[in-house]
Amino acid sequence: MSTTTIDRLRDTELSYRATLAGGALSVFLLIALLGLAFPGSIWGNFLAILTSRSTLSSALRLSVPITFAALGGIFSEKAGVVNIGLEGLLIISAFTAVITTAVVGPEMTVLGLPAIWIGFFAGILSSVLFSALFAVVCIRFKADQIIAGLAVWLIALGLAPFAATVYYGGVNTDNLGTTLGTWTIPVLSDIPFFGAFFDADPAVYMMLVAVPASWYVLNRTAFGRHVRASGENPKALDTVGVDVSRVRYAGVLLSGFLAGIGGSALSLGLGQFVGNNQTMVNGKGFIAIVAYLFGNYNPIGAFGASFLFAGLEAAQIRLQQVPGYAIPDSLIQTIPYVTVLVVLALVGRTRIPEAAGEHYDTGDDNR
Amino acid sequence: MSTAVHLDEITKRFPGVVANDDVDLTVERGTVHALLGENGAGKTTLMNILYGLYEPTEGTVHVDGEPRDFDSPADAIDAGIGMIHQHFMLVDPMTVAENIVLGNEPRKWFGTTVDRERARQEVIDLSNRYGFDVNPDDAIEDVSVGVQQRVEILKALYRGADILILDEPTAVLTPQEVEELFRVFEELTAQGKTIIFISHKLGEAMHAADDITVLRDGKNVGTVKADETSNEELAELMVGREVLLEPKAEPQEPGDEVLAVQHLSAEDNRGIPAVSDVSFDIREGEVFGIAGVDGNGQSQLVEAITGLRTPTGGAISYKGRDITGASRRSRIADGMAYIPEDRHERGLVMDFDLVQNGILGSQHSPTFAADGRINWSDARDHAERIIDEYDVRPPHADADAESFSGGNQQKFIVGREFEREPDLVVATHPTRGVDIGAMEFIHERLLDLRAEGKAVLLVSSKLDEVQGLSDRLGVMHDGELMDIVDPRNTTEEEIGLLMAGERPDADATDAEPPVGDAK
Repeated sequence: MSTTTIDRLRDTELSYRATLAGGALSVFLLIALLGLAFPGSIWGNFLAILTSRSTLSSALRLSVPITFAALGGIFSEKAGVVNIGLEGLLIISAFTAVITTAVVGPEMTVLGLPAIWIGFFAGILSSVLFSALFAVVCIRFKADQIIAGLAVWLIALGLAPFAATVYYGGVNTDNLGTTLGTWTIPVLSDIPFFGAFFDADPAVYMMLVAVPASWYVLNRTAFGRHVRASGENPKALDTVGVDVSRVRYAGVLLSGFLAGIGGSALSLGLGQFVGNNQTMVNGKGFIAIVAYLFGNYNPIGAFGASFLFAGLEAAQIRLQQVPGYAIPDSLIQTIPYVTVLVVLALVGRTRIPEAAGEHYDTGDDNR
Repeated sequence: MSTAVHLDEITKRFPGVVANDDVDLTVERGTVHALLGENGAGKTTLMNILYGLYEPTEGTVHVDGEPRDFDSPADAIDAGIGMIHQHFMLVDPMTVAENIVLGNEPRKWFGTTVDRERARQEVIDLSNRYGFDVNPDDAIEDVSVGVQQRVEILKALYRGADILILDEPTAVLTPQEVEELFRVFEELTAQGKTIIFISHKLGEAMHAADDITVLRDGKNVGTVKADETSNEELAELMVGREVLLEPKAEPQEPGDEVLAVQHLSAEDNRGIPAVSDVSFDIREGEVFGIAGVDGNGQSQLVEAITGLRTPTGGAISYKGRDITGASRRSRIADGMAYIPEDRHERGLVMDFDLVQNGILGSQHSPTFAADGRINWSDARDHAERIIDEYDVRPPHADADAESFSGGNQQKFIVGREFEREPDLVVATHPTRGVDIGAMEFIHERLLDLRAEGKAVLLVSSKLDEVQGLSDRLGVMHDGELMDIVDPRNTTEEEIGLLMAGERPDADATDAEPPVGDAK
């Protein structure tokens, strides 16, 4: 194909993107305009909700598990292993974080570390171990990544409520009576609206660090380049003397680590693990996949998408508190999936790593 | 002059096969050495041994006079050997510079971060030193195949290679890019680098190499100086007997029109226009060739003609009837034979034996299925006839298709299609991957069909093949039929320019005329 055809293709994609962004912006402006014009109407309520600090605050909090899982998914898939088990990693870390804290004793400190933080790290560890299992099955034993990923989800989905039942006699854990709490930065937290960034859950700060850090690792370090090469053309990486399996293991373990932070933060932010139905994770791991696809495997973009989805969720929760018009929860929850359909089908700009989902053989076997 | 590489009595056995049999090879420093041979002659195996991918069963590898024992390519790279594989090992979305330094990135800030500025500068310095024209910031997916190959060479040089091995480096290049590559060879050898390249094309070896070693059946059958040998001598060394090198089609008056393609357009699988407004016709007793670099719409054009792809515009008529919407089955029944470009994908069912493969496409025909059931003993006779006439080896009709070598699979497909007694043969890359002996045979059979008054559409990226066999030659570039030329009165350079998208008369205007210009 000639370069002119490629250029033409890019132009149409660009215009699609511009249309999409412009469309979103004009919807927002329309709401703002209507809200200012008719302060008492639904639009006025909308505007009030969208510009309120507490909405921003809860959007940030809600975006934590999605963003961390999405960052994890990026590292894994960029390295060539499609990690569809993110949901399971969130579940297992959310549960382990709470149960560990409970076993240590919520009020205890060990070596100066409060129990809740021990639980936090235990959650991360459980997710890393789970992803290690997934990695071995996929990389060493060349299992189908989608099936192995689903297995991770289903195992976690069964295991966590089961263990809760064994320990507590019900699928939900008891409330710890304590949470990660909030870290408030003096002065900065007094800023109207944006002060929400400085009066937040510790995990929110971690997220705000992890997003640019992930971008940096992926784009500016040798490791990041190896990860990208491993997912695009593993043979190219192998022939220059870099061990593809090692890079892929690292990518998957990193996804376990990041998803673990998200899961621990999710349950410890509430102080409880809820094991009903889809558990408290409730599809966040799958929304994370949507988020990084929407963000085209860019950590910043993935955060933007996660934040958008979380923001809609937060707005929806707040909207339910306004008497008169309750928007069904389940309708809002379809938004990420509708978005990904639009993004993947219509825009088609998401560039999936060439070798994602494919096993890599060094060819050593036939020696 | 000192010896850069000396392979001493190398033997490599795979289970059941001797790929290299007691091969000696000596390559002088600062020279270009061609390793010539038919497919399966053991060229690539020998080079994989030198590059540390295989360990020799017997024999030793000497580099710069030292005996070496390579466990992996990493060892070979350390010894200053770089290999450019036939399929490029590049990461498409990454830039030229990123690809060149991949795995050996210069670092800064205590090794945490890639020093991109230094990497870029090193790449620029390196390409200036050898006179390469590459932009370090271009993404690989945006640059031409010729540039990608130069990136591969730079990659090896960046790792300190003094000895470069290139596996079939010209297979994917236009004639101009081949010339460019050979200039690169000269520049590299002038600076003391040693080049070994694998080829099965005589002309290239004669043109670019200082010394030529010919392998046949895993043995070194002779090393000659390029300026002391002839094409005929090399061909004889390669095949082991005298061969007719240049297919020559005797002029012949064509008959009635068999196929007419009018303003045909088609898209590829991604919905991107791949064929735009192509018109030509083929007459009885005529070979119509289509030349072009792979991926310029030839595949989609052929698929539209054979009924495997629905055209987006235009019409196809065959033997005077419009068949634009006709099914594949009716086209086969109407005497349209098809040698597909990808024998694994379309030519054969790999886990069927040759008896079953032999009746593919004829499974409905009364010859084999008169009463609705396949007559397997007829099918077996048919397969055995093809095996016999087209010299398919080993001659086992019951063996699965996948157990045959590529060249033998190809011979079987060619045989099956020619035995249909077709009125039109659509042959895409009919000699891809077959050795010179089989190539000669397939060429002769194509010319026989022509002499019998059949029409042939021949698509090939081998310019000498289409040029030698065709009565008229269409050149495709970016989905358009640039021009239809008389191959006997057109030079390779002129065709090469058309392949690159340049019309000789379009000097003042853009190389690509506005869409609709030709209508």
